[in-house]
Amino acid sequence: MAAHLSTEEIQRAYIKVFSGLLILTVLTVIAAKGLHFPESWGAIGHILHVVIGLVIAVLKAWMVVYIFMHIKFDNPYIRVFIYIPLFLFSVLVFALTVLGGSTL
Amino acid sequence: MSALTLTHEPVTGIRHGKLGMWIFLASEVMFFSGFFTAFIILRNSNLAAFAKGATELSWPLAALNTVVLIGSSLTMAMAILSLENGKKQRFQLFMFITFLCACTFLVVKYIEYTTKFHHGIYPSTSTFFAMYFIMTGFHGIHVLGGMIPIGWMLSRSFSKKGYTDYGRVEILGLYWHFVDLVWIFLFPVLYLIF
Repeated sequence: MAAHLSTEEIQRAYIKVFSGLLILTVLTVIAAKGLHFPESWGAIGHILHVVIGLVIAVLKAWMVVYIFMHIKFDNPYIRVFIYIPLFLFSVLVFALTVLGGSTL
Repeated sequence: MSALTLTHEPVTGIRHGKLGMWIFLASEVMFFSGFFTAFIILRNSNLAAFAKGATELSWPLAALNTVVLIGSSLTMAMAILSLENGKKQRFQLFMFITFLCACTFLVVKYIEYTTKFHHGIYPSTSTFFAMYFIMTGFHGIHVLGGMIPIGWMLSRSFSKKGYTDYGRVEILGLYWHFVDLVWIFLFPVLYLIF
């Protein structure tokens, strides 16, 4: 596995991901607790908070999967096990919220 | 007979154990998808009550737990790398730190839960807390479940033969990173985005 990368290079990638995860954790807390949108924005401010929180979470998840779980270095066939559940999850959310008539 | 001795899936070349773990993780994604979808639906029809519930949670404790789990993911990755390179003591050290992080996570979770109980907050208190307890509870069980093989491999590594099954540790690592992954989503969804 990862035959083309040296131990030092992989180690450096791990440390980078770890630092990135810590920074993003701080950012998501600051965005949620320190960032206030003007009252006049109404629901948009609230939706922005949700979007920022989820975008940061997806970024963090991607870093964990890509580096820690070795998707970057490993057999590309394994990606199937990420795409299929992601697709099914999207279908589930879409069906229950948009088609189910629930408002976001 | 040859099919029985194959160690890798013949078409993709993925090791059997690893393939099994990825299939299991895919099913785990669907397991937690159910909870997250239920959470979205209930939250959207009950926004004010959910926002009120979320403010009663302690986000600093959850942030601490996020850092603890991210750290344990790093040490798990380092443990796998160490074993791959045959560095036994480094492997033991990193596995031990991973185990300690898991313990810390559960202790913090215990403090969170008991604080809630002292304030008279139970899963039956509101829809929000029903979702909170079931989602964090199932995640906690996953942490606990991960600690069993971590502890087992760690204790085996002190035996005369040592622990050399790199493949199994790698598979355990995949599971452990997945547990971290679930918490990465639980943290903003439950504690932050209201």
